[in-house]
Amino acid sequence: MTAQQVVLSLQWVFLAYFILINLGYLAQNVIAALGIRRYLQTADQYAGEGAFSSLDVPISIIVPAYNESVAIVTAVKAMLQLEYPDFELVVVNDGSKDDTLQKLIDEFNMRPFPEAYRKRVPCQEINGMYRSALNSRLRVVDKINGGSKADAINAGLNACRYPLICVVDADSVLQTDSLRRVVRPFLEDSTTVAVGGTVRIANGCTVRSGFLEKVGLPRGFLPLVQVVEYLRAFLFGRMGWAPMNALLIISGAFGVFHKETLVEVGGFNPDAVGEDMELVLRLHRIMKQQRRPYRIAFIPDPVCWTDAPETFRDLRSQRVRWQHGLGQALFLNRWLMFNPRGGAVSWLAVPFYLLFELFGPIIEVAGYLFFILCGIMGWLAWPEALLFLSLAIALGVLLSTSSILLEELSFHMYPRFRHLMLLYLVAILENFGYRQLTALWRMQGLYRWLRGGKHEWKTISRSTSLSDRN
Amino acid sequence: MLDLLLLPDSDGAVRFAAWTMVCVAVLVVVLFLYTIGLRTATVIGAERQRRLNEEWRAVLATVLLSEQEARTIKLPVLPRHQRINLLELWNRTRDTVQGSAADNLRIMGDRIGIISIAERLLRRRQLQSQILAVQTLGHMAHEESWDHIAALTGSQHMALSITAAGALVDIDPQRAVQMLVPLIAKRRDWPRTRVSRMLRSIGSGLVSEPLYRAVRSADDTDRVYLLQFAQLAEHDIVDALAAELIRESKNPDVLAAALKLVSGRDDIPRLLSLTQHDASFVRMQAARLLGRIGQPEHVPVLESLLHDSHWWVRYRAAQAIASLPFLGPNALRALRERQQDLYARDILEQAYSEVGMA
Repeated sequence: MTAQQVVLSLQWVFLAYFILINLGYLAQNVIAALGIRRYLQTADQYAGEGAFSSLDVPISIIVPAYNESVAIVTAVKAMLQLEYPDFELVVVNDGSKDDTLQKLIDEFNMRPFPEAYRKRVPCQEINGMYRSALNSRLRVVDKINGGSKADAINAGLNACRYPLICVVDADSVLQTDSLRRVVRPFLEDSTTVAVGGTVRIANGCTVRSGFLEKVGLPRGFLPLVQVVEYLRAFLFGRMGWAPMNALLIISGAFGVFHKETLVEVGGFNPDAVGEDMELVLRLHRIMKQQRRPYRIAFIPDPVCWTDAPETFRDLRSQRVRWQHGLGQALFLNRWLMFNPRGGAVSWLAVPFYLLFELFGPIIEVAGYLFFILCGIMGWLAWPEALLFLSLAIALGVLLSTSSILLEELSFHMYPRFRHLMLLYLVAILENFGYRQLTALWRMQGLYRWLRGGKHEWKTISRSTSLSDRN
Repeated sequence: MLDLLLLPDSDGAVRFAAWTMVCVAVLVVVLFLYTIGLRTATVIGAERQRRLNEEWRAVLATVLLSEQEARTIKLPVLPRHQRINLLELWNRTRDTVQGSAADNLRIMGDRIGIISIAERLLRRRQLQSQILAVQTLGHMAHEESWDHIAALTGSQHMALSITAAGALVDIDPQRAVQMLVPLIAKRRDWPRTRVSRMLRSIGSGLVSEPLYRAVRSADDTDRVYLLQFAQLAEHDIVDALAAELIRESKNPDVLAAALKLVSGRDDIPRLLSLTQHDASFVRMQAARLLGRIGQPEHVPVLESLLHDSHWWVRYRAAQAIASLPFLGPNALRALRERQQDLYARDILEQAYSEVGMA
């Protein structure tokens, strides 16, 4: 077999990958559309909840904070105003080097409190606990820096009192009714152990006093393209897996968990790069190993808005980290892979993530190189090659288009025609350069995981503070 | 491209890919146009609703205040395409009023033929139309629709079934409660807050007896579920029910749920025995209850719970001690000082701090 024959036979590998990944995404699309339709049919029935508040499940909100001096006061004020009858707010100051703790003490009149703290999941030592003299719902756990967000969340978990815990990033902007919406799966099904909600991009939106005032689109191409990416990832990516109880990710920016189950599985993993995904995979694994009935649910409502990276440097760092975290989480929970007891998680979701999300960038980048090589060597049948390329782009655009349609059918958050047009334009443009670039970054992440990189708190530089902006 | 699609000697796979490409491109365009169409429809619909609201809100406001006006006020012309918008507005208004204002709305509803509009909507297949129709018929207290609506409470669509249940309550609360209370435990998909609102609108006088019977005849799982709504019954019925369950039940979930409902001091010996129960959540509820109804002789029991292996039991016991009305600051401090166990002291310190007595 000649070198040319070997190289050309590879085209079938790329073709098979291409067909499988697109079939997978299209199937998710259909499942998600049906799921969203079903969800919206019943959504009205939950309107006006809270009329009988003793039926609501109390929630502890954990806000891990490391050097969040700029945003913490606004974030806490906003969270204290969430529409929910019974919740507490536990801010964990993870040994911040700035004046995060002092700002909290000053603004909310925090006083040292002799709490009988129980260390149920491992975390770094606690320096002290504070309770607000202004609002009894607010407590602060001041701890020694544990080097990871997971460690801070675990400290918060140890201090929480309520049966459900909600983990929120300090820089997240929440919808005022987000808790009410996200608690719904717990009320519907007592075996629910975790619920995720849709996270949207806050860049370009108007935020006042920690609340979203007006939805808009960012001006820069990078955050704009992430708006479309998030629509795809949440509206059909996660909604596609959730009906099969095979959801593998609940965003670290906003997720709600059944506390006792979380404690039983050991809390968040401080050594995990993607602690959110690792936890969800671990929940699946342990529930299945113990043969316990459980549900990990997802609600399509936009409940949380977060800042997206605006520079190539930040975006690269984020994508490298995500890929690293994905590899690590899948490896740590490899028991799930094709396990007879694993159901859809083991036979569909984990293999899909392994093949297409983790190793996908290798095939993608190899495909581009293959294309260039064949072109240089004169082995390329140009009409067929261009056809294949066009089809790949068209399918990419189709997936984005359908997610924009899902958004329009469900929540139509982007109010102007101009917004729709811009989103469509970006859905086309992202295929020329952006996708290839992210594939390269993901390859780097994969390499970092294989090499065994170290994990630490990461913050992205923000163009604006979440305090007040438009 | 055209060559690839049409040439007879093109490779089959290539031709397939080319056709797929065409289909995908067409699909993209169709989805794009559909999205634009949807947005246009939304904008037009919102504008239509705005105009209708402008026209009818003033009429509705007048109607709410006077029966005479409800019978005689000149109603705006209602084009066919705005009927659903009006029904939505009428139902929203009806949800916010009671008594004579609701009667006036019914009178106005009769004048615009709202029942026949709703009956036509009910025959449609769309879920949203059926929900709107059922809601309207309920608000109109249309007794002739009772059987049809009652059948819809069994619908697999939660939204339709709970709306039907609410409509039955609107039509005849006394008849509805007998039918609906036994359904509550079976329809776990009904939002609990909706159920509680429905039961509250019926009133504790009508709810108490069927709820009591439903709890008594239910199995343990259904009992725990139904007990969430027991607070909506009359106090003496709730007390009797809780006392019976605490006396008779062996199920820890039922015991914990019943302990939450107790308000009297009827069966203290049984309560004290529950502070030793195997299930920590039963001990926790017993401790909490002792904080509400406990007497000086029960303080040692609460003190013993301060050494419990479960944090929540210790915490509730400490809170109970801190809330006992007959223990003053000095007694509370003395109680803390005599604790040898570090856990007990810690939890008391926290509970005292919470009530401002560090």
